[in-house]
Amino acid sequence: MNEPKAIDIIKQSGKRASENFAPEKLHHSVRAACLSVRSPEGEAETIAHSVTNAVVIWLDTKPEVTSGDVRRIAALHLKKFHPEAAYFYEHHGDII
Amino acid sequence: MEVISSFAIVVLAAIIHATFQLSISVLTLMSGHAIGTKTAHTKLLRLTHGFLLGATVMTALLIAFVAFFVTALFGTKAPLLLWATCCGILVGLGFSVWMFYYRQGKGTSLWIPRGFANYLSNRAKATSRSVEAFSLGLTSVLAELLFIIAPILVSALVLIHLSPELQLLGVLLYTAISVLPLALVTALIGSGHKLSQIQKWRESNKRFLQFAAGSGLLVLGFYIYVDQVLSVALTSAGGY
Repeated sequence: MNEPKAIDIIKQSGKRASENFAPEKLHHSVRAACLSVRSPEGEAETIAHSVTNAVVIWLDTKPEVTSGDVRRIAALHLKKFHPEAAYFYEHHGDII
Repeated sequence: MEVISSFAIVVLAAIIHATFQLSISVLTLMSGHAIGTKTAHTKLLRLTHGFLLGATVMTALLIAFVAFFVTALFGTKAPLLLWATCCGILVGLGFSVWMFYYRQGKGTSLWIPRGFANYLSNRAKATSRSVEAFSLGLTSVLAELLFIIAPILVSALVLIHLSPELQLLGVLLYTAISVLPLALVTALIGSGHKLSQIQKWRESNKRFLQFAAGSGLLVLGFYIYVDQVLSVALTSAGGY
């Protein structure tokens, strides 16, 4: 996984304080989305790795982004590897 | 009211209840988290069945409680005013469901307070034991009370004048029908179906379910009005 520079992630609600981008958090959530749609563990791991790397590269030129931006870009890349996992990842917050 | 028409009302009310989606949303979310954290399949089954059992118990308790409460207040024959109030609630709720049940935009977000939705979402995420899933099932039915109170009240009102055996049968019938979609989703998850497919189906059919629920409430309200309010009022006015 590429090491990202320190980037502030602004929480979408604006109520919580900004935090540094943590690639492992993104990796974990993408992996969980893949597993949720019954992907094999190895595949989930590989996809999460690729998506996290793609997001880290995208973040390279940005001083600060919102958590919504990170989710949107991650979903965009995840869609290339696993459209169903991308759907679940994208709409996870809209279920209830 | 005849036994057949009483049961027909109970069945229609239960079908309307079954079209409401909050419990299914919570079940989907809870299962998503459980599968996403590599929970063993047997444990996943225990969680989903615990949730289903919780929702079933709370539905049965609610209808039994409302029936008991109404009987304690008015005896086995509900007054005309209560029937009229019930019609008003059904019609008002029917229009509200037509207009407001789902939030605008993608997904299956419902018009429930966001704080409550977040609480349910966080609890679904934190649920790792079947007893927690059971209590989440109980809570999710209570969270839906605003929408399901009308069909439950109508069913309770028609059941109270039946014999105790038929009342029990009515409560069981209502509960079984109202939790049928939840049981179906539990079976789909248990048999290995993808949550994304279930969620996609729910999202693509949400407007139909919304329309069906709203229309069902209006039809039930109109039927109750004619059968219980208008006919009784006309009979009283006519003197026979």
